[in-house]
Amino acid sequence: MIDNIIHAALIMTTPVLLAAIGGLINRTAGLVNIGLDSMMLVGALVSFILASSNGNWIGALIGAGLSGAVMGFLMSLCVTRLSANEIIVGLGFNIVAAGLVRFFLKSTYATSGTLSLPDVTRLPRWDIPLIGDMPIIGAIFSGHDILTWIAWLLVPATVWWLARTRPGLRLRAAGAGPKSARALGLDPLLTKDLSTVFAGFMAGLAGAYLSIGVVGIFNEGITAGRGFIAMAAFYFGRNRPVMTAIGALLFGFFDALQIRLQGRGIPAELVQTLPYVVVIVILTIIAITSRKSRGAKI
Amino acid sequence: MATIVSPAPTRRNIAVLKPLAEALLPVALSLVLAGIVLIVAGHNPLEVYRMLVVESFGSGKRIASTLSAATPLIFTGVATAIAFRTGAFNVGIEGCVNVGGLAAAFVGFTFISLSGYILLPLAILASAVAGSLWMVIPGFLKSRLDVEEVVTTLMFNFIAVGLTAWLVNGPLLAPGAANSATPMIADAARLPKLMRGSTLNAGFVIALACVVLYWLWGKWTALGFETRIAGMNPRFATATGMNVPGLVFKMMLLSGAVGGLAGGVHALGNVYRYVSGFSPGYGFVGIAVALLGRGNAFGMLLAAVLFGALATSGATIQLFSDVPIEIVNILQGLVMIFAVARFGFFARKGRAA
Repeated sequence: MIDNIIHAALIMTTPVLLAAIGGLINRTAGLVNIGLDSMMLVGALVSFILASSNGNWIGALIGAGLSGAVMGFLMSLCVTRLSANEIIVGLGFNIVAAGLVRFFLKSTYATSGTLSLPDVTRLPRWDIPLIGDMPIIGAIFSGHDILTWIAWLLVPATVWWLARTRPGLRLRAAGAGPKSARALGLDPLLTKDLSTVFAGFMAGLAGAYLSIGVVGIFNEGITAGRGFIAMAAFYFGRNRPVMTAIGALLFGFFDALQIRLQGRGIPAELVQTLPYVVVIVILTIIAITSRKSRGAKI
Repeated sequence: MATIVSPAPTRRNIAVLKPLAEALLPVALSLVLAGIVLIVAGHNPLEVYRMLVVESFGSGKRIASTLSAATPLIFTGVATAIAFRTGAFNVGIEGCVNVGGLAAAFVGFTFISLSGYILLPLAILASAVAGSLWMVIPGFLKSRLDVEEVVTTLMFNFIAVGLTAWLVNGPLLAPGAANSATPMIADAARLPKLMRGSTLNAGFVIALACVVLYWLWGKWTALGFETRIAGMNPRFATATGMNVPGLVFKMMLLSGAVGGLAGGVHALGNVYRYVSGFSPGYGFVGIAVALLGRGNAFGMLLAAVLFGALATSGATIQLFSDVPIEIVNILQGLVMIFAVARFGFFARKGRAA
């Protein structure tokens, strides 16, 4: 039972964490990415089609990442070169991508909503001998696929990269003080562009995890707002990778919990709103504590 | 500098043409990009656009259904604009549409013994109150604790959809109904039709009144002036003694109330009950309406009619040709993106949002 929940929670965490790390880098460079959900959706579709036609999951992952990256690049151009408001552009991208995907499904596959293709190669799951048989530890470390490993390994990697490397420091500088960064000869706009491309790539991978990692089917509602949950996760973590990961894990846990709670008399519709309620509660707590620490009255 | 020395008439011409061009350019660009999508899918974009125009404005009846489709968008556009003016990025109107729609339907099927003169206004009032209450928490968090309203209002959309879905599947499910819908509202609670054989109803009149009130409010009232100052420069507004957080809170509630009306009018005028999946994104299209109309009452009215035309004609052309209706969503999203893009040659400083 506990093993099951841990395993399910980790599975639910992976796509959120992947997208959240991308969004974290993006926001650190100064762009709040509300379009993550659209990049996830397109990544899910592209990887699904590639995994069916080529039978090669590596190619499918690369395709998903690249398609997300292209969308990220386009979105960034709107924000950095056309000075469009990032929030509106992000929401616009979500609407356009959802429309494009449904348009494409109808006009190419003559299907609405769900696409099922033959011979979809799923991401292989890696069972670790010995550890896999242990309780709890087995559920944590064994039976996961490459994307789950990438997601979690990226957490310490991001901490190190942001704090200890030259490009990491430059990224933070460009986000924190675009004018000063420009004075130092850095290009804040280019930094924003690159960080959005990265965020798109990660969101594309997150989408691939949903379509060829978890279920092996594509549905227009496959992301179920996880791009927004990822956004909530990096807001929750206030751009710190470890806290962001904890945020993602929290949402993964609630996601897994709501599936378990279904059919136990607790209405599914209400439990599904839990992650969103949690975001609001957490943002409120953060706001109150940061006010208190500044000594201000509420 | 050149504009200062140039003769006055030229300047006046530019002043008239610029907003028009600024509104038309996003639409034109969106039509071009969506046209490429259509070409790739093997359709002739010019033919599709011709059909869209004919289907939305080709006859009195079609114009009526265009105006009917524009009705909820007028409300959601105004609702969004009210919050935007104050500098609050309220993207939570979608949630208000849902709770407002449910509240109006609830009154409409519960107090069926009341006469229409009382029941209908009561139901409409309920939708505004519900929408406004829905914004209390995000409004409070934004104004008092400075919690990012984009995130909270976005999250509240998901919560509203979940909450209303639960209510119409459980406590408020119509007896004997299989799908998630409330009972039908009483005849007395229905908004009267304006035209026989079309969906155009008195809700459109209320929407027009709402736009006019918005215009008067923004132009002639102190509150309207204050919101504009607070939105343009909150520090200046604070320095002149305005209570900016209080103003933001009030305007969040007002924008929620108007968003709730969108749902109420849709429930009482078209659907006659609340069903799960009640709003096909009226709240989000409202953002596009507000942006394209640049928060200007008349501009938003035109933008709402444009999007209403797209929605109603999109549904018809899908019936009679193999062009998927999603081309409408693609156009809406593109317009939204380009409406906030600043193209060098039209660049203007100090624009809202």
